[in-house]
Amino acid sequence: MSEPPKLAEWLLRRLVGGRDSDAVAGDLRETFAARGASRLWYWGQVLSCLAVRVSLYRRRSIPGIGTDFSRAFRRLRRNPGYALTAMVCLALALGVNATLFSFLDSLYFRRLPVPEADRMVTIRRQGGHFCNWQEYFSIRNDLHTVQAAAVLFFSDSMETGSTGFDASIEGVSSNYAQVLRLGTSLGAWFTPGSEADPEPPAIISYRLWKSRFASDPRVIGKRVRIFLNRTFVITGVARPEFVSSMPPIMVDAWIPLRPVSRVALPDLVARMAPGATPAGVKAEMDVISARLRASDPRNEEIASGVLVEPRAGFASGSRKAFFVPVVTLLAAISGMVLLIACVNVANLLLSRATVRQREMAVRQALGASRLRLFRETIAEGLVLAAGGLLLGLVFGYASGRVLGLLLPSLPIAMYRGLNLGIDWRVALFLAGAGGLCAIFFSLPPALANGRRGLHPAMKGADARNSRQREIYPVVQVALSLTLLVATGLLLRALTRVEHIDPGFATDHRLYVHFSGRSDFDRQATPQLYSHLLEQAREVPGVRDATLAWRVFPRPGYGCASPTRRPQTNHVRANSVDPNYFDLMDIPILRGRGFSSADSNTLEVIVNQTLARTWWPHEDPLGQTVWLCSGLAVVAGVARDAKYESLDEDPEPLYYVPRRQDTASDLSLIVRTEGDPRQWLKPILDVAQREGGTLRIYDSGTLNDAIAESLWEARWQASLLGFVGLLAIVLAAIGVYGVVACSVAQRTREIGVRMALGAAPLDVQWMVLAHALRITAIGIAVGLLLSAATVRLLRGFLYGLSPFDPAAFAGASLAWIAIAIVASWYPARRATRVDPVTALNYE
Amino acid sequence: MPPIYLGEFEQIVLLAVLRLGEKAYGVPIRAEIESRAGRKVTVGALYATLDRLEAKGLVHSWFADPTAQRGGRSKRYFRLLPAGLEALSGSKAVFDRMWEGLHV
Repeated sequence: MSEPPKLAEWLLRRLVGGRDSDAVAGDLRETFAARGASRLWYWGQVLSCLAVRVSLYRRRSIPGIGTDFSRAFRRLRRNPGYALTAMVCLALALGVNATLFSFLDSLYFRRLPVPEADRMVTIRRQGGHFCNWQEYFSIRNDLHTVQAAAVLFFSDSMETGSTGFDASIEGVSSNYAQVLRLGTSLGAWFTPGSEADPEPPAIISYRLWKSRFASDPRVIGKRVRIFLNRTFVITGVARPEFVSSMPPIMVDAWIPLRPVSRVALPDLVARMAPGATPAGVKAEMDVISARLRASDPRNEEIASGVLVEPRAGFASGSRKAFFVPVVTLLAAISGMVLLIACVNVANLLLSRATVRQREMAVRQALGASRLRLFRETIAEGLVLAAGGLLLGLVFGYASGRVLGLLLPSLPIAMYRGLNLGIDWRVALFLAGAGGLCAIFFSLPPALANGRRGLHPAMKGADARNSRQREIYPVVQVALSLTLLVATGLLLRALTRVEHIDPGFATDHRLYVHFSGRSDFDRQATPQLYSHLLEQAREVPGVRDATLAWRVFPRPGYGCASPTRRPQTNHVRANSVDPNYFDLMDIPILRGRGFSSADSNTLEVIVNQTLARTWWPHEDPLGQTVWLCSGLAVVAGVARDAKYESLDEDPEPLYYVPRRQDTASDLSLIVRTEGDPRQWLKPILDVAQREGGTLRIYDSGTLNDAIAESLWEARWQASLLGFVGLLAIVLAAIGVYGVVACSVAQRTREIGVRMALGAAPLDVQWMVLAHALRITAIGIAVGLLLSAATVRLLRGFLYGLSPFDPAAFAGASLAWIAIAIVASWYPARRATRVDPVTALNYE
Repeated sequence: MPPIYLGEFEQIVLLAVLRLGEKAYGVPIRAEIESRAGRKVTVGALYATLDRLEAKGLVHSWFADPTAQRGGRSKRYFRLLPAGLEALSGSKAVFDRMWEGLHV
């Protein structure tokens, strides 16, 4: 069947319009074929519709929703600057939200990247561990509803060839790959039974394969030493997306473990059998748990109830709980930024509504229903939101990529595995957020447009709109001020921590961590270290060198007690050479340091806090300390120092002389002349040449070590600072918009003032005063809001009061400056008004 | 309410709508007028008249669901309102009285 002429159909739509044109076109189409598909006839019929067009009784067409959107789209295209501003504002806020949601998602909700991940569950207890390693092997064959694997996460040294490094390892039951259904990039996963091999298999992570083995396919068959120095053979490389059984923690290698240990397993990773439900699994596990309890009735650890949870995000509840403060903070600030952006768009829409209020009034007077005008404004908001959403996804993707590049350099392993990509969940979340935003920001102008009684609008300005529009920047200033106060507090806390005296000298000091584990020998290893120490002292530029077991920020623990029967053996300890105190500038306050000469009695030096806690009213000198290795006498009291983090409270610690201790891992500390970095290379050369079988693990300056310990605080402050900055930019746009718009509306008034002799400075001041008035109210509200919310930050402030006056005052002053900057351009434009033009201005 | 006077074409259209009952939309209305009155009617003239009749409150129209046969377009159905019926019978009465006793 031939089609009616397109052009005629188009003309018909123009002439009749709306659904009526649909009905006419439908009628014509029905008879078109019967008329022999005559185009001439069709054209004649269409032209006859001119009668409909000119008829006095023409029905007002009621356009559909589609018309609303196409009109909104056309209007926005005609005002690209306005549309782009609104979309970019939204997109920035949505982009930040995308990245933060993605962060949250990978911590809490994302499932394992394995087939049928929705069948994976975690079996754990409310408190304590589920069972121990041996028990796992005894119960796993009795399970019907699940296939369970046991995982033990630990950090250990991993050695390949002559290099070693700290690695994160998952020691697993050998059915691990079977339960999780894992694939490899290279080689194959180990299979059940392989833990009994004389040289058991190990799988390395894709990341390790790339970084340590340069993606060399010959890695298969290489030997590595892990886990109490046992040799494993690499049989495979994991898939890149699989980082561990508890992402985002990244694991470097997986090894199968034998069922010998009684170490506690916090949880089990399990795959539900087809048809099984979490409730069914729990019922079975309750029975198993009862059996475990019966065999070990006194064990409190396995007394609490069993939980079966879908395996998503961080596996265990306690780890999830650990992140709650950070996540709450992030969610709050990203929500605030989104709110500020929405207010901006609402403001823009409302200023457009003000510009168009006359048009709206005329249309309403001509019979447009209020619902139609309302619908049109909402449609405009939705189109803006859609544009903002698309741009926001692009921004979110970009910021995720940029942060993703930064992640591997982070010192905290947990963050390195974060996946900040945009997936459908993030997109869905953003679409929801964008939709809510659209309704939020287009409701006020839509209501304003649909308002009854537009007589004043037809005549001129409507006071209500401009009043409402001034509330918006007040809200924005208040919200962004709150973020500014929070950022200020974090920065203040950071500088405060940075200025805490660590209690030991950090300038001109280098450290090199060694491990002698692989070839530990009671006689040879200490001699090797002593030799190394002598050699290090020979390096030019080295003023002195010493050996210590532990260096900030890695405290060691020892077994000691002031009484014969040790209550606790978990006391911080260090094992040092006699010149340690001198080299580290840690003064001995009472008694004396260790003597170089061998003495027959064991000696210890305690710090002030330990002396105070153990012997509150006695002289610590000469007191007896029960070490697990024997009795010792207190020879001196050293000044307190920081051992793990700068903001820690004074911790009790004791020192033992190195020669009385046979630790295999020691750190060489070197005091140098000038910049310590230039001596790092020579020291490392000596260490490699003279160190024999010792392995170098880490090296750097003590100042670096201090900086690294502050990393988390810095990270939080910079993240909040970045988001705060974004909020300020958005809010400044808001203030600018309102001031600029009011200048435009008052052009006539300004012209009159200037014609009557007002100086440009007076006019500028008038505009500025307007901006400052808005800002002042915003600051007042913001300070109240901050006071109410900053207490949430208490956990991040290292003891700084959340009501720190400097942060509050600084944020307020900053905002006054921003307001002056934001109103500078509108103020200048106001003075450039030509009175003659202004008086004719309409 | 003052009586409404109908033009000849208006009467024809109203009668066609009345005759078709439930099936009164553009195509059958035109067919009815063509076959009974022997007049060719353009869509434009028909719809302009129907719009006018609707505006006067004599007919009511509504849209039915679109059908594929019409290229996915909906039909606009018409129904006589009581006022339309009254106007028709009023017009007929006028003609009846005028014709009374006349033979042509």
